[in-house]
Amino acid sequence: MTVSSPTPTRAPVRLRHRRSARRLSAGQLADLREAVTLAQKIGDDRGYQYWAGIHGLPLPEYCQHRSPLFLPWHRAYLYFFEKALQDRVPGVTLPWWDWTQHQPQGLPPVYARARVGGRKNPLASSPIQPAGRRNPKESKTWRQFGPQSWLPQSAEVKTVLDNRDYFTFQNQLENIHNGVHGSVGGTMGYIETSAYDPLFWAHHCMIDRLWYLWQLDHPGAPLPAPYLDVALPPFPMTVRQTLDITALGYDYAAATAAVPGTSRG
Amino acid sequence: MVDRFRSKPLELPSAEHRVDRIDLAFYDLDHSGSTFEARVFIGAGRGLKRDAGTDHPAYAGSLFIFGHGACSGEEGHCDVPEERDPFDFRLPHHLEPGVQILTVTEAVKRLVEAGKDKATVDVFVHGMEGEALKALSFSQLRLLTYA
Repeated sequence: MTVSSPTPTRAPVRLRHRRSARRLSAGQLADLREAVTLAQKIGDDRGYQYWAGIHGLPLPEYCQHRSPLFLPWHRAYLYFFEKALQDRVPGVTLPWWDWTQHQPQGLPPVYARARVGGRKNPLASSPIQPAGRRNPKESKTWRQFGPQSWLPQSAEVKTVLDNRDYFTFQNQLENIHNGVHGSVGGTMGYIETSAYDPLFWAHHCMIDRLWYLWQLDHPGAPLPAPYLDVALPPFPMTVRQTLDITALGYDYAAATAAVPGTSRG
Repeated sequence: MVDRFRSKPLELPSAEHRVDRIDLAFYDLDHSGSTFEARVFIGAGRGLKRDAGTDHPAYAGSLFIFGHGACSGEEGHCDVPEERDPFDFRLPHHLEPGVQILTVTEAVKRLVEAGKDKATVDVFVHGMEGEALKALSFSQLRLLTYA
């Protein structure tokens, strides 16, 4: 049995679909904003600030970069953060930001507008808890867009997806991921603070989606065995447990349609 | 830390041999500072300017380094241990330098087809606002050819 590939061998039961940030329905967008707003109001380990802080500040800095654990660790991170949002608004999912589709305009509008409906847009900025600040004055997230050329083009993404071995794929995917962080700049431009920006989650959802697409195209190209049972602190999950997203209850299919089979009941 | 780097000439693969892939590997690459782009050119010759872009004929690709930023811990927090106990199963120090690889197959193939057998590598560092940034530090650069 290969453990690297998604195994959609059973009829999915209530899989939740992560969607493009450009294609959210009004209801899905309202749910996402509501979930983030409610999570921001909670000051304990169910709240937005707690989850944003896991990546960098306050210490310890749990995130994994420049390592084969980069993709599994961030998949686990998104999974548990999404669960925290679903505790606030059941069924809500994280959307992905396809940076190749937003050039040269930049961000998806749902993350760019400072205000929506006369209220602050919770996807445009976030407070930063005092212990999460790189300097005391950085009380909320900010963006300072850098070179447009740092955003990857579709052809670069295709080159990354065409790699056949995990290490090269991960290395190249992480490289373009780094460029996106730098292109947004500001809070997103530093490992320690990036997860406070609500855009972080949409960016990493895109990275996770590309890993999933790569897995679909390269079944039987697993991480080397020594990595599979490595834990991903602080999450109660191993690398192996991150490999099949359908087992984690979500999917990236752009659309699904189903009809009953031959069996009834 | 430097904001530009020019290598000594690197030996290119022979035109007689089939090549599937060529990588440039930067060893012990530092990421302790700001986020930056390392824009890489191969075989550009002298006179390459800092603002040379991705449309330059010698452009080979870019590495993007996600910077850690200033140390937020107390004294010693960001000091990378020099030696690691083989029985230490903790995750590596967060500032441990890493290897970053840039695939440069087409850029090198162009040079080989033009009859070159050696080439220098130029790297310019651009910060998040496009500025020159003294952020580049690595121990070794290798050209790896796969056939």
